[in-house]
Amino acid sequence: MRLKRPRSWVQWLRRLCQALFLALFLWFVLIARFRASEDGPGLIRFFFELDPLVVVATFLSTHTLVRGALLALAVIIATMVLGRVFCGWVCPLGAVHALASACRPRRKGRKDFESRSPWQRGKYFALVALLVMALFGVQWTGIFDPIPLLYRSVATAVLPATQYAVQEPATAIYKADPKIGGFHLTSISEPVYEFSRDAIFRVERQSFLQSTGIAFLFIGIVALNFVRPRFWCRYVCPLGGLLGLIAGRPVLRLHNDESACTNCGKCNLACPAAAQPDQRGKWLPSECYGCWNCVAACEGHAIAFKWESPFRKPNAGAVDFSRRATLAAGVTGVASLLALRLPPPARNQQPLPALLIRPPGAREERAFLQRCIQCGLCMRACPTNGLQPCGLEAGLEALWTPKLVPKIGYCQFNCALCGQVCPTEAIQPMPLVEKQTLKIGLAVFDTSRCLPHNYGRECIVCEEHCPLPKKAIYLINKDVLLHDGSTKQIKQPFVDPDLCIGCGICEWSCVYRDQAAIRVVAANEARNTYNQPILPDYGGMDRYAVARASRP
Amino acid sequence: MSSLTRRDFLHQTAITAGALSMGWGASFAQEAGPADMAIARWAGATGAEAPLADMAVKLTEQAIAAIGGIGRFVRRGDVVWVKPNIAWDRTPEQAANTNPDVVKTLVRLCLEAGAKTVKVGDNPCDRAESTYVKSGIAAAAREAGAEVEFLDRSRFRTVAVGGDRLKEIPIYPGFLDADLVINVPVAKHHRATTVTLCMKNYMGVVEERRKFHQDLPATIRDITAYMKPRLCVLDALRVLTGNGPTGGDLADVKAANLIAAGVDIVALDAFGSELLGHKPEDIGTVKAGFDAGLGRMDYRSLALKELEVV
Repeated sequence: MRLKRPRSWVQWLRRLCQALFLALFLWFVLIARFRASEDGPGLIRFFFELDPLVVVATFLSTHTLVRGALLALAVIIATMVLGRVFCGWVCPLGAVHALASACRPRRKGRKDFESRSPWQRGKYFALVALLVMALFGVQWTGIFDPIPLLYRSVATAVLPATQYAVQEPATAIYKADPKIGGFHLTSISEPVYEFSRDAIFRVERQSFLQSTGIAFLFIGIVALNFVRPRFWCRYVCPLGGLLGLIAGRPVLRLHNDESACTNCGKCNLACPAAAQPDQRGKWLPSECYGCWNCVAACEGHAIAFKWESPFRKPNAGAVDFSRRATLAAGVTGVASLLALRLPPPARNQQPLPALLIRPPGAREERAFLQRCIQCGLCMRACPTNGLQPCGLEAGLEALWTPKLVPKIGYCQFNCALCGQVCPTEAIQPMPLVEKQTLKIGLAVFDTSRCLPHNYGRECIVCEEHCPLPKKAIYLINKDVLLHDGSTKQIKQPFVDPDLCIGCGICEWSCVYRDQAAIRVVAANEARNTYNQPILPDYGGMDRYAVARASRP
Repeated sequence: MSSLTRRDFLHQTAITAGALSMGWGASFAQEAGPADMAIARWAGATGAEAPLADMAVKLTEQAIAAIGGIGRFVRRGDVVWVKPNIAWDRTPEQAANTNPDVVKTLVRLCLEAGAKTVKVGDNPCDRAESTYVKSGIAAAAREAGAEVEFLDRSRFRTVAVGGDRLKEIPIYPGFLDADLVINVPVAKHHRATTVTLCMKNYMGVVEERRKFHQDLPATIRDITAYMKPRLCVLDALRVLTGNGPTGGDLADVKAANLIAAGVDIVALDAFGSELLGHKPEDIGTVKAGFDAGLGRMDYRSLALKELEVV
């Protein structure tokens, strides 16, 4: 895309539309964190509901329709009529790419001519491979689907980095308090800091374990715009591929008037999609984003979009993707699926990852992975920052899916936000009272580290923090032998496995900053009947209802 | 038990001097003047027909009035920090945090006395964004005109407190810069310290406090000594008698229907300990505070007023 003198108001309307959708998207990332209330998630799932790939892939993997499928259907219908306008007008990642492409240095001469490349089939390949994986139960579209990709990147990397960049220097100035004469630098930096803290970010900066990898992927795909404009959209994006398949015969089609065209090639130069607007009768509707750059670029007014019957076949082949390539993509998908399922945890075999604590309401692992699109919405919404993207500990299949890391943040007793915001119900929404008795793990003492157990010192911070009304940590007064041979009575903490729900506030609050002396393990989690080693003491049922097994 | 603190000495000297110079009548008037501790008990109707908010307002006003009114502590133009216990993500009826109407009343009284700014804030155990809202304190304090301040973790200032157990700790600067910090805890059960009252409420001005639990009486004593308490208001409208300090089970909440206010933090804590069914000398923090000369354990020996409020 070249920023040329505009001739088409549609082009400007489109840019405005892109800017608005990008702003709206960023706004939804920003506010997801404040809506810690029970009045529902509001509109923050809007873009996920708009995304047809989420609906299609989840339908293939679970044979159910996710909520918001109607919005996605609207996008599909719009694509059938207008072509890939979602990519050109709506997609926020598309807007980011368009911006980055606009920053591309202009190269001299006409070597820059962006012609169509067979590599543009890459996105169909990615789409087919991912959908085949989904069909056989591995949902990996979220890694590449632009909406989850951008949400995850902004929520876990871009936004925390921005907050850091604004607030960290201000804190450094505050601590050093440099002054020139009687003028304190803090009289400028502090108002800026306080405004950013109280009016913009409004919550403490989140930080995420996998953010470096997520950031590198994001920076990488944005940098690719310098290789080709909108490289990602052109060659890789599986959502673009899906919309391209649908956009084979749009009602709105590009026409190149032979009598007016001077073959100057400016339209092609302006086209970010390599959709061949310059080649009469060979315009590629499946590639075109409907951005109107070509219309604006054409000095002879030879190019125009016109309505046409969808039954008339376009001259150029709709999608340049052979049966052989489809088969190859399918085989790739199956092979990837098999590769992802090789390690024991992926088959629910021992040893299960002990520290894989899924958010409350998460489905049984396989069903969870079939739905989770790694979007990071739950991580952004989590008030304690405890929900973190997985690395490889649960297998590559579970990359960037959420897990609770209690040492970073616990599962807040009065919060069930993650289930409310989850776009695909991988984390099921549930009433707070139900969530408050749902076991997501079990706290286990490491008595070799625990101060009252091994060092003869009082502590019980864990017991103090335990949010259960009857305390899942109980204390026993015990005479402990001290180093000088004397004895001292100490309150030693123990966990009641029937009461403990695995929220992890004990681990979070433990005096050890590195590895807590009480840690939450996945054992006893309600969603996995295969990993419930402790037979519930039903005699204790009157204390609490024993958490029911998770729904299928 | 009869150790004489400097405060007591000055107090008694003043009384003696008054009696000598003005005769017995004047001396009697001095005795009838502002008390150093007041216990305001609710004698009106209880139950559903008597809203707790009404009780909170009246008891707080009366208790403060009995110790000389807020004007004894707040001067015109002062910056006052009202420091409630907002530690937990719990609702007011669960009694894990200070009653919001007590906070609201104190804020109003300070502003009426001419305070320039009244700030309300605490360093909670659960997330501040949740506890400030769930406790009802943020809304109540704002309604009365207070600035509700979240304690910014990056702004804590490490200060030398020079205690026997604590040498230096990070304290939120707002507490250090205020002209007056009003300590407003709720009376609760606490498994580690048996009870949590005024002294332990100072755990909410510091950071890095997890290791304090290895010797809570001494560490709390050191913070209290550093904070130099001038006015404490103990909320015992609803007290948590078990599973503290978090609570959560309404069966553990008892209605004590009283508010105590005073200038002697140890005396107030001694009273609070008795209220929760313990001997003050059995409570580590009270004993440590008394031993360090932070106040009297025998609160009855203070100029004490007990009021029945309807």
